Amino acid sequence: MESIKLIWVLAEKDLRIEFRTRQAFLSTLFFALLVLIVFQFAFDPGSPATQQAAPGILWVALLFPGIIQLNRSFQSEMEEGTLYGIILSPISHGTFFLGKFLANWSFLIAIDLLILVLFIVSFNFPLKLTLLWIVLLIFLASAGFAAVGTLFAAMVSSVATREVLLPILLFPILIPLILAAVNGTQEVLLREEFRFLSQWIKMLAAFDVIFLAASFLVIDHVVGD
Amino acid sequence: MLSETNLQNARTATSYLKAVRWLLAPLYVLMTLALYAAFLHTPTERIMGEVQRIFYFHVGAAWNAFLAFFVVFLASVFYLIKRHPFWDQLAVASAEVGVLFTTIVLVTGPIWAKPAWGTWWPSGDPRVMTTLVLWLIYVAYLILRTSLPENDKKYRFCAVFGIIGFIDVPIVWMSIRWWRTIHPVVITSSGANLEPSMKQALWVAVVAFTICYLTLTLLRISMRLQERVLDELSQRAEITS
Repeated sequence: MESIKLIWVLAEKDLRIEFRTRQAFLSTLFFALLVLIVFQFAFDPGSPATQQAAPGILWVALLFPGIIQLNRSFQSEMEEGTLYGIILSPISHGTFFLGKFLANWSFLIAIDLLILVLFIVSFNFPLKLTLLWIVLLIFLASAGFAAVGTLFAAMVSSVATREVLLPILLFPILIPLILAAVNGTQEVLLREEFRFLSQWIKMLAAFDVIFLAASFLVIDHVVGD
Repeated sequence: MLSETNLQNARTATSYLKAVRWLLAPLYVLMTLALYAAFLHTPTERIMGEVQRIFYFHVGAAWNAFLAFFVVFLASVFYLIKRHPFWDQLAVASAEVGVLFTTIVLVTGPIWAKPAWGTWWPSGDPRVMTTLVLWLIYVAYLILRTSLPENDKKYRFCAVFGIIGFIDVPIVWMSIRWWRTIHPVVITSSGANLEPSMKQALWVAVVAFTICYLTLTLLRISMRLQERVLDELSQRAEITS
């Protein structure tokens, strides 16, 4: 109970800083918008082939801004020297990790939902109740993304080349997650009946559980000393 | 005199090199035998023709690449528990040889696939795509190694990545298999019913590559140990000069 409160305190601290400065939020959102627009120009917007590729475009537009946010999440702690303060305080590393994870996850969900709206509008998809399935996919996929991403961001936070290193480490690991998210979205947007949707949702849930548990188990070896 | 740890490193490196010397003769014999078996002992495959002979080396390298990555995983777990540098050295040496073997698999694959399946790159096949993802994961592992400064943290971070990367492999496999069932692919895997002489050739190639894996891994570990000894020697040389 006590540790759940601590996790929330840590996550709330990050979210409040973000809410007050709005630095990362606006720039990542703008970056995601740019990705969507670049794709609009790269592909003929009216053609059915672009509609077929749209789920992939959505997830590319969600992944790249996500990387920026994950890289930033340890950056301010490093710059202000607050990381040592947190490590020295009587909080377990696992709690610290879960706090960071929760902050990153909330941030990603907020960004992703806004991008989803922009995506629906710019690709002319009809507003239907089934779009809620995509919201579920976003919740699940951003959880796995945030879990592995927070772990790796902690690892590369002290390296000069972290901006390049984080996606190099993260993208190969995230391939099953990307496959599941894109294929699930494809079902919802382009098919009449969702035959495989539950399968992809299960895969995302399994990815989240496995990697959240694995990251939690190894975090003591990444943070500290 | 060298420091105690580096004296030990020099001794260990020498003993590994001795082991390598013992492995070289069987490696030479078995590789020659594998070549003989692939080109002369086995008949020409009826449908795929001569190009099928690459199969023995393709599978020999693939099997050992998986073995190498499994060793990376085990060594990473042991490193985090024991914190002994040997496990880290084993993990990185194994990852290097694994990436080399996976590269062999990814190069020999298309050479064989083009005439046999009509495509260089069957991107729906779970084995092909999982091998590619494996290659990406362990190249990322090696890039992580070169990016981090040399200390205990580096070994721990690499061990963490070695573990996370290996856990990912079965999930990658499952996701690509599901993906494939949705996107129908023309290519089906050929049956595993091999002619007896082909089976023999395959076994010889697999064993030859396993000994090759052992030899290269030991060489890389002893090279790293010697590097440390050399570092200390050159530092001392600078001080005295």
